[in-house]
Amino acid sequence: MPSFTTQVPNLQQTGPIVEIKVAVGSIIEEVLQKDNKDIPTPVNAVALIDTGATGTVIQENIAKSLNLNPVGVALINTPSSTNVQCYEYLVRLLFPNNVIVETVAITASLQEQHIQCLIGRDVLCHGVFIYTGYINTFTLSF
Amino acid sequence: MGLTLLRNELNTYDKQKNELIGKSKGKFVLIKDNQIIDVFETKNDAIRQGYERLGNVPFLVKQILEVETPQNFTSNLLG
Repeated sequence: MPSFTTQVPNLQQTGPIVEIKVAVGSIIEEVLQKDNKDIPTPVNAVALIDTGATGTVIQENIAKSLNLNPVGVALINTPSSTNVQCYEYLVRLLFPNNVIVETVAITASLQEQHIQCLIGRDVLCHGVFIYTGYINTFTLSF
Repeated sequence: MGLTLLRNELNTYDKQKNELIGKSKGKFVLIKDNQIIDVFETKNDAIRQGYERLGNVPFLVKQILEVETPQNFTSNLLG
């Protein structure tokens, strides 16, 4: 079962964060290869595993860097707004240990600059998330 | 956000919504501009077919539902 474990100095303070890369979806890569076009280089991002998020969110500039085109529109509720429409994009999330998950993410401008991605329950629904607070580690397995 | 990149597709969905609900409720429709390309059982299939048939361009994949349920985000990182 592909998995990774990450230790964070103060897990309670920072939350379960992990350095990932965000890449275009595999079908996009196939289409670009077929058309002899360059495949965008995956973008580094700090991701927070967020059990309070229905879906995955990426910072808007990640979608721009990957030259992504929207494949849909999602309606979202946040603590300060309701029924906001956001674009959806097909992405691959490259976690440590070669753990790869493909999903449809929305874009939003995340408030804190040090986090560029929220990993939501659309990803967690495929795996096991273990939060071991007393030793500041967490594990994600698929 | 104005969602200008998919404005035509969203208008097309709104115009065809009642008919789509009658025929394909719960399935996923693939729309480009003012054309309904096809209807699929899963979102992944619709997206894959969108890229294969249309290339790397904006298109709309939407589940055919009477009432859309919003995604919820409890984190204040989203404002």
